[in-house]
Amino acid sequence: MNKKIGLLLLIAVLLLVCTPFLGITPIDLRGIFHSSPNSFIFWHLRVPRTILGFVAGAILALSGLVCQNLFKNNLATPDLLGISSGAAAGAVIALKFKLHLSFLGIGGVYVFSYLGAISAVLFIFLVARLIRNSSLYTFLMSGVAINFFYSSIIVFFQYIFDYSDTFSLLRWLMGGISVAGYGEIVFLLILSIVFLFFVLLFKKEFLLVSAGDDFARSRGLNVANFRIYSFLGLSFFVGAVVSTCGPIGFIALVVPHVSRSWGKSHYGATVAFTFLLGGGLLVLADLLARTLVPPVDIPVGIVTALLGAPFFLLLLIAELKKTD
Amino acid sequence: MIEVAGLLHCAGARPILQELDFSIRKNDFVLIFGQNGAGKSTLLRILAGMIPAGKGEVLINGKNVAHYSKRELATLLSYLPQSDEFGLPILVKDILLAGRYPYRSIFKKLSNRDREIFAEGVERFGLGDLLMRNMQTLSGGERKKVLLATAFIQDVPIILLDEPVNFLDPGSTVQLIKMLENLHDCGKTILLVSHEIERFFSSANKMLALKNGRMSYFGNKMFSRELFREVFQVDFQRTFFDGKEIIFVNE
Repeated sequence: MNKKIGLLLLIAVLLLVCTPFLGITPIDLRGIFHSSPNSFIFWHLRVPRTILGFVAGAILALSGLVCQNLFKNNLATPDLLGISSGAAAGAVIALKFKLHLSFLGIGGVYVFSYLGAISAVLFIFLVARLIRNSSLYTFLMSGVAINFFYSSIIVFFQYIFDYSDTFSLLRWLMGGISVAGYGEIVFLLILSIVFLFFVLLFKKEFLLVSAGDDFARSRGLNVANFRIYSFLGLSFFVGAVVSTCGPIGFIALVVPHVSRSWGKSHYGATVAFTFLLGGGLLVLADLLARTLVPPVDIPVGIVTALLGAPFFLLLLIAELKKTD
Repeated sequence: MIEVAGLLHCAGARPILQELDFSIRKNDFVLIFGQNGAGKSTLLRILAGMIPAGKGEVLINGKNVAHYSKRELATLLSYLPQSDEFGLPILVKDILLAGRYPYRSIFKKLSNRDREIFAEGVERFGLGDLLMRNMQTLSGGERKKVLLATAFIQDVPIILLDEPVNFLDPGSTVQLIKMLENLHDCGKTILLVSHEIERFFSSANKMLALKNGRMSYFGNKMFSRELFREVFQVDFQRTFFDGKEIIFVNE
């Protein structure tokens, strides 16, 4: 198992090192150390973009894994529960009203994105509390409802934006890894490591909830509290990614699924695979996005969905065949 | 050890359990039986602190069950729910170690005591070959065995079980009952809910009959054709085989 993790780590590092050299303008090793347009492209566009892709992918994949553990179901994701669209709606509102206030050095879009994500979480928990039913079904149904709600908010603002704004908004909503500077990247990089640390630190708790509410409760875990705190934490990480990259689908769904089968149910290994695979996959998808149809930079969300959807179907079919 | 006084539990306006008074002593093996929907599982979940009692008192070691923290309660009793479906893959080893959760704080590694009782549980329940298996791929009998071993590793005086032999084949059923009797012999207090009284009749020493949420009987185990007829609406017979008391439906 450790060998497999090592191998994937090696592949991820290779990917991180090689990807910035590839693109519509190929760059060779010597070019990057002189001041030239190529070295500018390399250091100011491609390297940060690659790092951002890796970090965002890793966070999204981990958030999928956490959702799945919390709901004991391998189809639960932040997208399905409305957290991503909440974050997106928050970001759209901030963009529309140019709410560029910043809080402790963190940008306004990010704060609103986080508030949007949190409001979605609070909504689904409020519904569960009101009808005194906290089954997966309740959460998913209210997730679907809040998803529709926030999607229509996004469409509404799109409609009242003027044309040029609408276009950039649409572009953002398709998910894209574009770089504003190294500041954001450092912020997300730290978040991804903190997230990884938390997921490993709360191994016992995540294992307990994934085994079932009654089982966890009877071993002494306060399941309701653990679940709500986890979701509030999760919104923080998902909000950060969505506010910088837009909602990027399928990574959160597909990656934990694959990692689980590679990890053979070992928690630590599954987490490691999720982190590395999530990051690696988004870097690859982004490489495809910027080289597939030159000189167009396709939104990476389109690439992940295009590749992710059929891949996920294949996985499901293979799994159903196995259980037959 | 467990005292229940004037328990009334409602779902909405409909009473599920009413007028329950009983007390269970250390090392009792109580068989709780009744028809489907009589309130057996609800009673067990209340005793386990899974759902609030409603009116009345449920005391465990003299303290109201609602006043225990989840962790404290988990060092006193272990509850095995009826359903043992796992939605996600999880290793048998991790399920067993979950039994040590109430004793471990967040940064604490496994203590010697944790390791010791884990090893003892694995040995006693013969789980050595299953440790690295995924719970989802085990047979029903193996799964129940692992869950019972978790309760053992949890090192609690009271074990509550909801229909532990549902859907098990005869071999696994007998094996599980033997393990339960074994735990009882070690001094554990066992409360077991089942509508299959035939299976557990010889193991138990106390019984509690529920009918429509009310207690028809609580006390020492005894064979009473009238009681069983009242609860199940069928005729039971008793016989002795190899000195063991056996009851069966005679209809």
